[in-house]
Amino acid sequence: MRSETMMTTKKISLTINGKACSGEPGQTILKIARANDIYIPTLCYLEGLTAWGGCRMCIVEIEGSAKVVPSCATPAMDGSKIITNSPRLQDLRKATLELLFSERNHICPMCPYNKGDCGLQHQGYAHGITNIRYQYLYPALPVDLTAKYFGLDHSRCILCTRCVRTCDEIEGVHTLDVANRGIKNQIIVDMLKKFGESETCTLCGACVANCPTGAFFDKATAFRGPLASCRQVLTTCTECPVGCGLKVFIKEDRIVNVWGDPDSPVNRGHLCVKGRYETWAEPRERITQPMLRDKDGKLQPTTWDKALAAVRKAGKEAKKTEKAMLIAPRVTNETAQVIMALAGKIDRVGMYVAANEAALCNEPSFSADALRNLEDADAIIVIGAQPSRDNPVLGARIRIMVRKHGAKLLIFNSRKSDLDQYADVCAYAVSLEHQFWDRVAATLEGAKRPAIVYGPNAMTPIGVTVMEHLIQIFERNAGGQKPALIGLPVSSNGLALAGAGIEAIEDVGPWLDTRPLKFLHIVASDTPDGGAGIFDEKYVPALLEEIPCVVVQASYRSALTEKATVVLPTTIWCEKSGTITNLEGRQLSLRPVLPVSGEAREDAAILESVFA
Amino acid sequence: MNKMTRNKTTKKSTRPPVAKAAAKAGAPAKVRVATMWLSGCSGCHMSFLDLDERLVDLFKLIDVLFSPIVDTKVKDMPQVDVGIVEGCVNNTDQEHELKMMRDRCKILIAIGDCAINGNIPALRNQFPLKDCLARAYEQAESNRISCIPNDPVVPGLCPKARPLQEVVKVDFSIPGCPPDADMIWYALTELLAGRTPQWNEKNLRYD
Repeated sequence: MRSETMMTTKKISLTINGKACSGEPGQTILKIARANDIYIPTLCYLEGLTAWGGCRMCIVEIEGSAKVVPSCATPAMDGSKIITNSPRLQDLRKATLELLFSERNHICPMCPYNKGDCGLQHQGYAHGITNIRYQYLYPALPVDLTAKYFGLDHSRCILCTRCVRTCDEIEGVHTLDVANRGIKNQIIVDMLKKFGESETCTLCGACVANCPTGAFFDKATAFRGPLASCRQVLTTCTECPVGCGLKVFIKEDRIVNVWGDPDSPVNRGHLCVKGRYETWAEPRERITQPMLRDKDGKLQPTTWDKALAAVRKAGKEAKKTEKAMLIAPRVTNETAQVIMALAGKIDRVGMYVAANEAALCNEPSFSADALRNLEDADAIIVIGAQPSRDNPVLGARIRIMVRKHGAKLLIFNSRKSDLDQYADVCAYAVSLEHQFWDRVAATLEGAKRPAIVYGPNAMTPIGVTVMEHLIQIFERNAGGQKPALIGLPVSSNGLALAGAGIEAIEDVGPWLDTRPLKFLHIVASDTPDGGAGIFDEKYVPALLEEIPCVVVQASYRSALTEKATVVLPTTIWCEKSGTITNLEGRQLSLRPVLPVSGEAREDAAILESVFA
Repeated sequence: MNKMTRNKTTKKSTRPPVAKAAAKAGAPAKVRVATMWLSGCSGCHMSFLDLDERLVDLFKLIDVLFSPIVDTKVKDMPQVDVGIVEGCVNNTDQEHELKMMRDRCKILIAIGDCAINGNIPALRNQFPLKDCLARAYEQAESNRISCIPNDPVVPGLCPKARPLQEVVKVDFSIPGCPPDADMIWYALTELLAGRTPQWNEKNLRYD
């Protein structure tokens, strides 16, 4: 209560264009204007990034001052009178725009983001610019197309540095920066490298999403018209257990682009390469028709009726004890219910998970508020997990906490990761020496809100040793809270599926070999590798050879589908409906974005007709 | 609308639709217009033809005396009120023509992005002239004989492709690639009515 009264007394009041407005002390003029529905044009400003004040579009007049000031970077003062639009401001803004237009090759007809998504173009229209008073410079500038999914055309760049700030403040890698001076000023990657050579770029694509012009463009989106003309559907990413919200742009039943959903409490608009690009911009061979092995042993396209008849026949020939089902840990919760209802008809159901992940999944515990706890932490301990590889959005958040908010970072993992460079303590092998643990304790001393992110490899004896030592340290560290535990599996929906009663198995070989099988149904669903991952395991290819009927239910062709007796096509993430549960225990909805491709059917519907 | 009143006056006049005759009869003189096509794709002229039936209304107010899209019998460009130019200045001949146009018209309108900022023809400005010529005449895959034209009759390529305003004074600009017929209609009718076109988000397009 006390703080609230203090806040109210501290409020400042000012007039903007004659309208009485109020705000918190320290708030910028732009923030207060926006909160009061007063429009001020901007180009380099972006909510959530540090103000830059570089583009000078947001200039305003303050009564009693001869200067104009950038409203995005100027704190409002109590009692000041602000004017956001006047002939003088209009002239200055026009001149700024004309200089921007003259400086580089802003040729709209041949811009990949033409027709309406460009901030510069929009401001040109808004200020009625039909021609400019300066000489065009036509500089020869390079285009960097070496990044896998996007390009950077310096000709379109207005040096607003939104990409630089995004890269530094949201993804936290600071790949992008600005080099050279004056007219030679330009955005650079690492130390004057190309994207393809960059060691730090994570391909998260946030720079593309936040670029106000066509300087950064997605290759798969280029020249496909304005995103504003696309239908937008919100759905959930199923590539990892973080469960980021996706905003999918669709035109003529094709995905034009995927952005993070800014209103998602999970990712707040940020995405990683998996969600933003691998979901749709990656060419994969989709299975759109059921396939059945003919007399010569070749897979041939067939009808659903024939494929299902063959599957049911094989199913009837096998005894209950000779039937098993293996599922990918990414199917929806609704599919899991169907699977559990069918479980009585077969000997065993299992989901194949990553190495050491079974223990994490089989004792499912969701880490409620994991992402908030992480953002609150002053010390982050990562054990046996590689968030920057497996869950890059979470990895980015860890990076930001360490780089921007001074959180301590301790990593205990046998594999190297790009988070290691930011770590205060980084141990690839765990030492039992006192000196080492004294160092860990010294690093954690004074930590008030620690968070422990533990992945599959924390379930190994070494991981448990680390955990025990840490618990001892935290018991001695009296001032701080108990560490927030964040269990981080690799599987997208493994925790919820295990919770529904499906056993997680990491050694598929021995599991298949428990009792001889005559009928194996593999639900690979829309796993990007088509379920071929289980082939990596020893003995599995040989064991599959011995099973007379292997039904593979998958979306993409792979080494696994090539071995199958029958292949049944399933829907992919953008055609599915249902829910998945993320690592925090949030139920997140999948919404069908596109019509189903070919004859593919939903996982649950296929399972019901196979085991009917 | 002002346009309507003007239409009425021309409708009332039974004189032949020649500006001079009309002027003699006391009816308002038609605005004399010439158009020119420099380094461009003719898209802006096509867009002008896209005015469709509005052309009939427009021709009640203007006479197009000289243009690549009218069957002119005059060899030399006459004095006009308004000159409309598409395309940028790429060679010495175009520079000469544009300067002639500027001399013989009262108001010069640059139409289309090429005339305004160089657009596609100006892409070559990023490379030295020598390289451009070599790429087109010596290295082009379709060329059987590699030879840069050097006949004095052929106009020389300027070192840079230039928008009109870098060569002459331009009075109005109608951007767009091409500007759509509505933009051209709006700009011309406003100018004919004696007003300056007011451009904003709703009626302006660069692409």
